[in-house]
Amino acid sequence: MSEREILTRKANAAIDAFKSQRLRWVTGRSQVKVEIDEERYRRVVDSIMQDEIERHMIIGAIKEKGALTVEELSQSTGLQPSRIMQHIIALRRNGVINEAGEKNRQYLYQLV
Amino acid sequence: MVEEKFEPLIVAFCCNWCSYAGADLAGTSRFEYPTNIRIIRVMCTGRMDPTFVLEALRMGADGIIIAGCHPGDCHYQKGNYMMEKRFDYVKKAVKSIGIEPERVKLEWVSASEGAKFAALVRETTQQIKRLGPSPFRLMHNPKQVKR
Repeated sequence: MSEREILTRKANAAIDAFKSQRLRWVTGRSQVKVEIDEERYRRVVDSIMQDEIERHMIIGAIKEKGALTVEELSQSTGLQPSRIMQHIIALRRNGVINEAGEKNRQYLYQLV
Repeated sequence: MVEEKFEPLIVAFCCNWCSYAGADLAGTSRFEYPTNIRIIRVMCTGRMDPTFVLEALRMGADGIIIAGCHPGDCHYQKGNYMMEKRFDYVKKAVKSIGIEPERVKLEWVSASEGAKFAALVRETTQQIKRLGPSPFRLMHNPKQVKR
């Protein structure tokens, strides 16, 4: 995958991530009414932001190419397969993706 | 291939009540500043969605200025505070997609600070010239010379 493609994909994923309800909720607050210190809150938001960008890279790749395996997703997003798997579990639990058969003894994942 | 001289394209999001009026004052007071800037008026910096910045960069902007009222002067009480908080996340997102976070700036310019606005544009243009074209700009216009 060319550098140009990676850059475009990352930018699209970041834009989609900021459109997502989860990230909007945590970054759009002007005041946080939870008993948590500022530094810790920022760390939590940073990790949510990273997760959302990576998840939208996965969603973007599936949207573009159809059902993909973890290995294929890793190739097209540049993320580690273990990281992809973590996101797959979360996306599957949230009802965003599901299995669509198998390929080379690996599950294929598609958008719901 | 003929290489073009790099002239940065800077998008400025100015709040309606302070910075846009400041930019207006810079014009009417005849302060000179580079023509590399394109101003977009927003009602408040609190209206600024992080996607505006990311979209502008994706479309080929080399730099972004977000200009709003000074803290405490917001027409809507706390819009600029909201932007200030959000700005950290915007910078991190910009960095995570592989673009220098220095390309994005948040500044406070009041309606009476025409000279400050002109100085801000001059300074940002110089800074972006040093950084060179953004990767997205190069993608849209590969002829752009890197300097």
